[in-house]
Amino acid sequence: MVFNSLTFVVFFACVLLMHSLPLGWTTRKINLLLASYLFYSAWNPPFVILLWISTVVDWYAAQGLVKALRPAARHAWMLLSVLANLGMLGYFKYGQFLLDSFTAVMSTIGVAWHPARSDIVLPVGISFYTFATMSYTLDVYLRRALPARNMLDYALFVTFFPHLVAGPIMRPTELVPQFETPRRATGEQLRFGLALMSIGLFNKIVLADSFLSHVAERVYDSDKTPGALDAWAATLAFSGQIFCDFAGYSTTAIGAALCLGFAMPDNFRFPYAAVGFTDFWRRWHITLSSWLRDYLYIPLGGNRHGPRRTYAALMTTMLLGGLWHGANWTFVAWGGLHGLYLAAERAVRARFAGYQPGPFIFLALGLLTYMLVNVTWVFFRAKTFGKAGVALRGMFGLNGAAGPILPTFDLLVVAGIVSAMVLIHWLMRARTLEAVIARAPAVLVSGVWALLLFAIIIVQGVGSAFIYFQF
Amino acid sequence: MPSSTSSSERTGRHGGPGGAPDRYARQTAADRPGIAQPVPVRPVPEQPWGRVLAGAMLLAALLLGGWELYWRNYGVHPSIANTDGLWAIQRWRLDSGQGDATVLLGSSRMYFDLQLPVWERLDGRRPIQLSFEGTSPLAALEDLADDPRFTGRVLVGVAPDLFFSGFGLHKGAPRYAKKESPSQRIGQWLSMRFIEPYLAFDDPDFALQAVLARQPWPQRPGNRWFLRVRKLSETEADRNTHLWSKVGDDPQYRDLARRIWRQDFEPSPDDPTPEEMLKTEKEQIERAVEALARLRARGVKVLFVRLPSTGEYLAYENREFPRERSWNALLAATGAPGIYFEDYPQLRPDLQGYDLPEWSHMAHDSGERFTAALYGIIERDFWGPGATGAAAAKPLAAVPVVAAAH
Repeated sequence: MVFNSLTFVVFFACVLLMHSLPLGWTTRKINLLLASYLFYSAWNPPFVILLWISTVVDWYAAQGLVKALRPAARHAWMLLSVLANLGMLGYFKYGQFLLDSFTAVMSTIGVAWHPARSDIVLPVGISFYTFATMSYTLDVYLRRALPARNMLDYALFVTFFPHLVAGPIMRPTELVPQFETPRRATGEQLRFGLALMSIGLFNKIVLADSFLSHVAERVYDSDKTPGALDAWAATLAFSGQIFCDFAGYSTTAIGAALCLGFAMPDNFRFPYAAVGFTDFWRRWHITLSSWLRDYLYIPLGGNRHGPRRTYAALMTTMLLGGLWHGANWTFVAWGGLHGLYLAAERAVRARFAGYQPGPFIFLALGLLTYMLVNVTWVFFRAKTFGKAGVALRGMFGLNGAAGPILPTFDLLVVAGIVSAMVLIHWLMRARTLEAVIARAPAVLVSGVWALLLFAIIIVQGVGSAFIYFQF
Repeated sequence: MPSSTSSSERTGRHGGPGGAPDRYARQTAADRPGIAQPVPVRPVPEQPWGRVLAGAMLLAALLLGGWELYWRNYGVHPSIANTDGLWAIQRWRLDSGQGDATVLLGSSRMYFDLQLPVWERLDGRRPIQLSFEGTSPLAALEDLADDPRFTGRVLVGVAPDLFFSGFGLHKGAPRYAKKESPSQRIGQWLSMRFIEPYLAFDDPDFALQAVLARQPWPQRPGNRWFLRVRKLSETEADRNTHLWSKVGDDPQYRDLARRIWRQDFEPSPDDPTPEEMLKTEKEQIERAVEALARLRARGVKVLFVRLPSTGEYLAYENREFPRERSWNALLAATGAPGIYFEDYPQLRPDLQGYDLPEWSHMAHDSGERFTAALYGIIERDFWGPGATGAAAAKPLAAVPVVAAAH
């Protein structure tokens, strides 16, 4: 079920009630586990089996890793875990993509081959929970962590419903220890958790779904050729939509966990105030970028083997990171572009080591970063390279006498929301939300919270899925 | 729009507050490469959270109360939301023991004009309403054709500009009914029992973004912007639907509704060419032929009906979709019987005084009279005992004309 649904409201109320009952800790953990399976099966019950497979394989792989005496055996257990998870991911997420790509290659060499479409349904959140479970065995393999003491804690780590389908991507060392001792939210945690959920749902339901998504749709899903204003408005709208959608999900998830007494890690840190792309990836989808860094970039050599290997590792990481987002070459291009940006930044930083920009240059570099990030969003949003090309040509004023597409209201919406969003990111780039709330008068906090709730209800969101569910 | 955020930068060289250190600042995984990540820190900012929550709830309740009052004063009553989920509930009835039912398929005229209680009173069985506004019924007809459990009767409403263009606001409804998740199903159940019957503002026409978007914003040169169709109907739990009384009672709202229809009557650069239109019309007729062949193969009776329109809407339909080219071609190709409202005095607004405030849909009471008249014709000429199944239109003089007071 999605957070922005009536079903979830009732589900969450029941979970809170069950979790607050005077039951033993093991019983309450079992309740949470069952609730999490219910949460997941509310989409498509049979896919719970995949969740079980991923859970069981990694549990036994980690046990095997601990007991294995020979390095070869340890490798084998690690490979079992990685292959099982990537195999599931490959089949469900990339099967059709690989088939299509192979067909395209055959067609370019003159072989007409038309395989039947497999019609595979992508299980919601498979990219997230396979990465979470892989981090469990990989941490044990890399001797960074010990396996969980009991299977219940481990299964709950994999399945805990706030992070299950769209992150933040949890590491076992972040969550399993929290299951070892009884936890119940304090009154303060419960109320602040509800406040975080309101902020997250406001981002998702009001800003992303109700005001920004259709602006991007009107240009990116239309047959019309956009001029510069429409192309930029749609791309900026998408930059706001994807942030509000995904950061909104993360904030709601963190709030939901806090209501139950659990802490989840930050996943966003005002990314549109980033200066440079290294900074951007330290602020955007932090749990994914750090996962890729720890389990892909560093094992590929990181920056330990000279510039050439560093750049190769960087590009490989970002290309695969792009592919993680979706089974389409446009996502690979998105990742590749970010890889190029990171590589270029690395080269420039090496050339100008020690340079400290003044405030105006700093701001200009930040805005340049945001603009270049927007260029990458074109590949993320466009369904084909053709469509991405049309949008990019529009953004660079190369679509000639293209007629207007968006109405004035849409332009005002984008200008208002996106400029406010970027401004807030800049004002908050070195602050925390908690510090700002702590300094605000209680009446103001109440008033803002009430307005968020009022807006969430009167836009009448229709329970549309979060963008990242498809990943 | 802050999010789940933190910062490891206590005082940035630029962009940071530069004042007192942020005591809520914390590291993230981005700050800890290549190690096992520790249990996260999730501090709660200092506030009197009990009072903050109570204040927020109270103020939100007051704001919502005001919003509800505003829309009730506008003339809105709570009604069930017309969603794909609601459609799916009716669709499933055919798969759960009611496969021999009479199904009403069509667009908004079939949906708003035909009144299920009247039909039930005359027939003894309530039909299943599967029409959808702004949507060609062909996708739903094909869905019924694919379902061997359906063996009943289908009355298919033909609104020329939708049927022959294949346009569909809700053409995904049959797919939704097949794919609806348990979560969506429960959400639909909860909403139609605990939210929709009590809140008047719970209608897409009164959503904040819709209200803002239809304000008279200045238009960009060269950008022709269409007013979206406003609320026209009220729906009940089994999709029995009627025209919203405001459309008939409020002259300003009726004029607005007519103005919105007029947008379609004027040529637009986005319109298909005449050749494209003809091609699309043929495709729709071919789809109907294929669906009917499958339905008839298992004994399903299908009857087309062209429901009334008046005024400028009727003139537009006659101009763009002349009867000979569209309706007659459909009946000829499918071999199915049909009822064209102009052929039956009992169905003609000009003779019976049916009130169509915005030229396209009947007022509630007119819909009730019309349903009874249509049912009588169907039973006498098509589906009743002794009906020929392909009756010719009765001559005008043979039928008494009811002069209505409208």
